[in-house]
Amino acid sequence: MDVAFRKIDIDAFDDEVLREPDLYEEDPRGPAQALDEAKQKQVAVRSALARNDIVDALSIVLDNPPYGPNVEEAKNVSLQILLTILNTTKSTEISTVIKSLSMDARDILMKYLYKGMGKPGWGDISGSVLLGWHEKLTEIAGTGCIVRTMTDRRTV
Amino acid sequence: MAPEVYRIARAPITAHAFNADRSTLAVSLNSNDAQILIREDQEWTTIETLSEHDKLITSIDWAPNSNRIVTASQDRNAYVWQQTPDPKTGKVVWKPTLVLLRINRAATHVRWSPNEDKFAVASGARAIAVCSFDPENNWWVSKLLKKPIRSTVLCVDWHPNNVLLAAGSADSQARVFSAYIKEVDSKPVATVWGSKLPFNTICGEYRSPAGGWVHGVAFSPTGDLLAFTSHDSSLNVVYPGSNVVHNIRMPSLPLVSLLWTTEDTIVAAGHDCQPYVFHGSEAGWQETGTLDDQSTLGGAGPARRSGLAARSGAFAAFQAADSRGLGGSAAGGSASTDTKLNTVHHNTITSIRAHDGVKGQIERISTTGVDGSLVIWDVSAVSAVASRLGVMSMR
Repeated sequence: MDVAFRKIDIDAFDDEVLREPDLYEEDPRGPAQALDEAKQKQVAVRSALARNDIVDALSIVLDNPPYGPNVEEAKNVSLQILLTILNTTKSTEISTVIKSLSMDARDILMKYLYKGMGKPGWGDISGSVLLGWHEKLTEIAGTGCIVRTMTDRRTV
Repeated sequence: MAPEVYRIARAPITAHAFNADRSTLAVSLNSNDAQILIREDQEWTTIETLSEHDKLITSIDWAPNSNRIVTASQDRNAYVWQQTPDPKTGKVVWKPTLVLLRINRAATHVRWSPNEDKFAVASGARAIAVCSFDPENNWWVSKLLKKPIRSTVLCVDWHPNNVLLAAGSADSQARVFSAYIKEVDSKPVATVWGSKLPFNTICGEYRSPAGGWVHGVAFSPTGDLLAFTSHDSSLNVVYPGSNVVHNIRMPSLPLVSLLWTTEDTIVAAGHDCQPYVFHGSEAGWQETGTLDDQSTLGGAGPARRSGLAARSGAFAAFQAADSRGLGGSAAGGSASTDTKLNTVHHNTITSIRAHDGVKGQIERISTTGVDGSLVIWDVSAVSAVASRLGVMSMR
């Protein structure tokens, strides 16, 4: 039986089809600007980490992160910075750090945790570190935080 | 006052609607039929079954003054039911009238307008059918609101002026439309939503910051404010005058249905199985508590456990099954395997309706859900939130 018809992209014939950009507002920054900002954050985070100020370092990287398509490079830089912070935090401090984060920052942190868990072996991702943070973050921010990560189309 | 709890069925209640004096109830139990129930002592018993749809009924609404029921279904049809004497037996029965909806996907939600001369049917066809009665041809005709809806419409709610209609959709937008029908409506007076209102005027489009399907939408009693719940576990309150949207994020699971009890109070419930109360003004909104008082509602049974204990029970049952291959009942039947929720509803609440009081001053509400129960709550009995599903500890 001829099944080639199953591969026809029928959405291409529908003018009113719902496309990804219809579901969220695009990142107003272009790829170059987003990358630039991510690199500036990297410097700021390093100095915060040198002062051993984890909350400040996390707040910097979680504030207005690059999202959506076309900013892959900036996203990778941001994820790398975040992993550095997560990996250097002592497990006993995690709860205190999360409690001092804003609600927005918690939601975005959850997005990065899931992104990290979806890329095993990338950079210096450690599954046990991510799961440790995930457990503490869920305790404090609740399942609502996970629901928002799954719902939000502004992927980091 | 403790809530009145009725276990109606061992099946999910898709939708419920009371008649004007709250003596009769229409429900659909996740089937193609709707049941008419009356209360006898402490039980609700079926006195009539409305069978005409040939797919699942998705929504029911009862017009209190004209005493008409409208049902919407996945079979893409809606029926208006009226009590008429049967020509043979003379017994008064509910007679259906088919409505020509002209939609090619399931109907998802239906609501009578305040004057009961129109109703709106939300559908999967990216459209809302606004239906009105054509006396010349003796049938219900529909006019479709289409633009700019991009996906399935999940919920609708009428403005008190009988013209404006709010709709929540799976494209993560809550919108306010004009559903003005020349033959039915007199010229509407200007509101905060606009002054010139031909059919399909878009008076507002709102989205929760994190997006998500809009499950529930409702105008405030005056119609000057709009609230909607979306699948990002948040409740949003819109002030159209200043274009401010307050976004209240919950630590718990998403809310599905909501109701304004007064101009500054909202009750909303959903996947967390309990009705939460929200209070606020233009300066800001916050959650003030729950109607499900889990500290005293044990009844005759043992004291109700905290959320942590309930969660651990379920957790332990799965852990035992996983590590030792034991089924739920074989694991000892101790308290640790008791996985019953400690909320009044044991599953998602899908519908909230006003039960007693006048618009703007609702005193009691009714809720139904996937657990097959009907619960009538006193809205003044607000207590602190003791536990949330899936949340182990609070800040």
